[in-house]
Amino acid sequence: MTATLTSPKSPKSTKSPSVEDRRIVDAERRARRRRAYERPGVLTYALLAAFFLGSAFPLWWSFVISSRQSSDTNLVPPAVLPGANFLTNAAKVFDTVPFLQGLLNSIIISGAITVSVVFFSTLAGYSFAKLRFRGRNGLMLAVIATMAIPTQLGIIPLFMLMAEWHWVGTLQAVIVPGMVTAFGVFFMRQYLVDVIPDELIEAARMDGASMWGTFRHVAIPAARPAMAVLALFTFMAAWTDYLWPLLVLSPRNPSVQTALAALSAAGGQNPDNAMVLAGAVLSVIPLLILFIVAGRQLVAGIMQGAVKG
Amino acid sequence: MTSSTLGRPARPDLTFRQKVSRFDYRFSPFLYVAPFFILFAAIGVFPIVYTMNVSLYDWHLLKGQGDFVGLQNYVAVLSDPFFWNAFGNTVSIFLLSAIPQLVIATGIAALLDQAIRGKTFWRMSILLPYIVAPVAVTVIFLQIFSQFHGPIAGLLELFGLDPIRWTFDVLPSHIAIATMVNWRWTGYNALILLAAMQAVPRDVYESAALDGANKLRRFWSITIPMIRPTLIFVVITATIGGLQIFTEPKLFDSRTNGGGSRQFQTIVLYLYELAFPRRDFGQASATAWILFLIIVLVGLISFAVTRAIRTADVKPPRSSAASVGAQQGES
Amino acid sequence: MISSRNRIAASIAGVAALALITTGCSSGGGGGDDEKITLSITTFGTMGVDANYEKYMEENPDITIEATNLEGGGAARDDAYAKIAAGTGLSDIVAIEEGWLGTIFEVSDSFVDLRDYGIEDVKDDWLEWKFDQGTGPDGKVIGAGLDIGPQGLCYRGDLFEAAGLPSERSEVAAYFGGEDATWDRFFEVGKEYVDKSGKAFWHSPRFFWNSFVNQQEEGYYKKDGETLNIEDNAVLKEHHAKIVEAEMAGLGAGLPGWEVGPEAKAGDFAVYMCPSWMLGIVQGYYDEGTTDSGWDFADVLPGGAANWGGAFLGVSESSEHKEEAAKLALWLAAPEQQAAAFEEAGPFPSTTEGQELVAETTNPFFNDAPVGEIFAARAEGVIAQVKGPEDSNIQDNVFGPTFDRVSQGEITDAETAWKEAMKLVDQLVG
Repeated sequence: MTATLTSPKSPKSTKSPSVEDRRIVDAERRARRRRAYERPGVLTYALLAAFFLGSAFPLWWSFVISSRQSSDTNLVPPAVLPGANFLTNAAKVFDTVPFLQGLLNSIIISGAITVSVVFFSTLAGYSFAKLRFRGRNGLMLAVIATMAIPTQLGIIPLFMLMAEWHWVGTLQAVIVPGMVTAFGVFFMRQYLVDVIPDELIEAARMDGASMWGTFRHVAIPAARPAMAVLALFTFMAAWTDYLWPLLVLSPRNPSVQTALAALSAAGGQNPDNAMVLAGAVLSVIPLLILFIVAGRQLVAGIMQGAVKG
Repeated sequence: MTSSTLGRPARPDLTFRQKVSRFDYRFSPFLYVAPFFILFAAIGVFPIVYTMNVSLYDWHLLKGQGDFVGLQNYVAVLSDPFFWNAFGNTVSIFLLSAIPQLVIATGIAALLDQAIRGKTFWRMSILLPYIVAPVAVTVIFLQIFSQFHGPIAGLLELFGLDPIRWTFDVLPSHIAIATMVNWRWTGYNALILLAAMQAVPRDVYESAALDGANKLRRFWSITIPMIRPTLIFVVITATIGGLQIFTEPKLFDSRTNGGGSRQFQTIVLYLYELAFPRRDFGQASATAWILFLIIVLVGLISFAVTRAIRTADVKPPRSSAASVGAQQGES
Repeated sequence: MISSRNRIAASIAGVAALALITTGCSSGGGGGDDEKITLSITTFGTMGVDANYEKYMEENPDITIEATNLEGGGAARDDAYAKIAAGTGLSDIVAIEEGWLGTIFEVSDSFVDLRDYGIEDVKDDWLEWKFDQGTGPDGKVIGAGLDIGPQGLCYRGDLFEAAGLPSERSEVAAYFGGEDATWDRFFEVGKEYVDKSGKAFWHSPRFFWNSFVNQQEEGYYKKDGETLNIEDNAVLKEHHAKIVEAEMAGLGAGLPGWEVGPEAKAGDFAVYMCPSWMLGIVQGYYDEGTTDSGWDFADVLPGGAANWGGAFLGVSESSEHKEEAAKLALWLAAPEQQAAAFEEAGPFPSTTEGQELVAETTNPFFNDAPVGEIFAARAEGVIAQVKGPEDSNIQDNVFGPTFDRVSQGEITDAETAWKEAMKLVDQLVG
């Protein structure tokens, strides 16, 4: 921190200061205040920039190497300018593992999970927030309680269940277990409870709207911003998952993550680093696009406490 | 009531519609929450409960259910040095990631909690690593930490130092894995902490400044105590996440399950090894429950410790700290 | 602000809905294309089968082969276990490694009996022991033998020469004792090399131990394939002590078992245990087309002939095209294709005819060594060792890590090393 403040010996000790003194003190205070909250120094920007470089470097470097050749990984200082071989290396990725299949599968999986989670969460969240029914509070409590439980701990029976249903190796084995989350319901409820005035729902009912109609025409429009945020995080979580797809998908019908993991191992003894990193870059691109389009919402979502496991 | 609002005379068929409407009103809420509960029961609750059942049997991956063995699987796991090895590794990796992560995230949040230019850019910039999936993070850092080819190896060579066996030696492997976790999560946690910092009323700082407290002192005596609830939240989430780390150690040396001598095998990786390569679903299920209990326990401990730290601290205005907590809870 | 959020929501919903529709379509489209059959096959390591696939598809235009290769037997094994347990998700054809064949036999109903698809008609193609290995206790044949792992010694001719040892391959073989080569002599030569060169002899004791175990009539298991044969096994224990002592005497470079390319290039060690499939791995440490690495290959194995590793092809019971899959599996395991795979990547044919076909093959990476001829010689007198269900587990998780600890100086005497290994045996398979 810029500890430039030469703190005057605690002002309290100055007993009954003269008017002149007081004016000086006031001016000093104002100046100090501005210095304290309004104008961060160069050091702040320097530190932030350094942190940003640290955040961005691995990703950028991956892209640089993937556009050059494997032997460039050990350059000191590290290579920072891209070369011309990205497409060549990317082509090798698709030859080595079923990467395209993995990308498509992950789009399907993440897309289906997102639609499902957002829909069911909005529906249930709206009910908990705005409708009266017996056992509402108890059920809501159940939702909150289950939120804390890491569902990954149930992978063994879940695997047995998928085996029982003969789903192992198919996409629904990944999609169905991701179809609802307690967090989603909680999140939508918290949002909707303040956003929709009770009178609005009453009014719709008075107008003879059915419950479903009210949900569609009153709740959904009001819920949209929260739905968007929930959709973003659900999509990302599904896209980045590895353990579960590893268990229930097969190497020939992979998700983008399991395909990338196989690619990384495929090099074996003398890995083609440029190719492996090209795979990593390709796997990140869809989320990078999402990040560029909706990064603000991601930031806002996290800052509003949108996210949790 | 309905008819009068609608301004239409009551007609005989309305009774039916009324009935439908009443039915709709009464049962729709159940219908709307039912899909969630039914699905969640099947894919969330059942598996966890059933894990308990599996853990009480000899249960082979390929051959299926065997004899009832009571708590023997638990005893076997708890007396298995590999379990404790995995436990130690998990704690070590967790500490190596949680502590630097919290410190740096708090620092970054404090930097961002100023009137900086390009607010949105900086906030987005620190979140960038979060969009990179753990698999990709590991793949990328494997290259960076490569013993021979990566930039770090190059740097060491430049200074005439011996190459570090990142995947072979215990501490280097833990540091490498913790670095991956830190890289992905620090910015994310900084944003959560930033949100909490922004909720601290500005006039508290102002009066402290008037009292002559410098920046650093204000940070320690006001910011930290006031964001305590969020710090607890971040610590607990980091704990739960840290105890379940799998992808990074699994892929750090994909030929093994956490290193040739299990030098970076974590608990979930131990569970995976039991369940699949070693085909013991019974013991793997017992491990899942033990892990669950550990998570609960460590969550409680983090909570207590964070509380204690704060209580030992300088007394902040209690009321405003509470209001921050309330705000956190609401949003 | 709100409107931009709405757009995002809408576009995400749109993409997702599209995704849902596609799922619906793709799950229904499985049997769509008439007559064209897609066969999936999962292999591991370097099997050299790609060219064979091409050839088969050319000859059988109605077949499409969808091949997946996993690096390392471990990944392939774990995946196979999970999919066997699930009853779905296995490829039509699955490559099975010798080390986990024992486990597969426990649940052999996941794989078809190849006798139903005519394997007995060509039974005599294979070395007898190889065919027997693929046959379960109940007589069911679940694996068509692909390659075998007769072992010779990879060595660095240039380094041997620099150390004043013989470097020409027949002289090297003779120096180690030729047909009567013993492990004691091997350690002796190792010491001599270390003394003269000041460098380590081998990278890790792991592979030499595996070789030794595979030489025994009974390995980690008794012949019944169920009873463990480790703890009271004086022969194993004695040799274990010798290896540990040799390692500590400076023969070992203190390296991990695998992935030692840079040290190989740096000449940090001079020998490598080479079952046939290992040639491709050593070669993989170097850039493609390298011929001046200094590596050579000698027709000698301390302690006598032994097999290490080798794969089988099984056809999964859940396959929708068992007939076609079995046909392809048997074709891939036929002599001609085995020979082609050998030329490509080094796994040595398990059929007599296949071995004859490659008799003339030389390998430019290994100083033009007549690898076909050498392996044929090394394969003579090999006996099939019975593998138990935890064989690969014991190899990877008991002795491997213990040797690593010796290499790293954590364990400094043979007795402790053996005790530690026995502890691991108890924990893992006891």
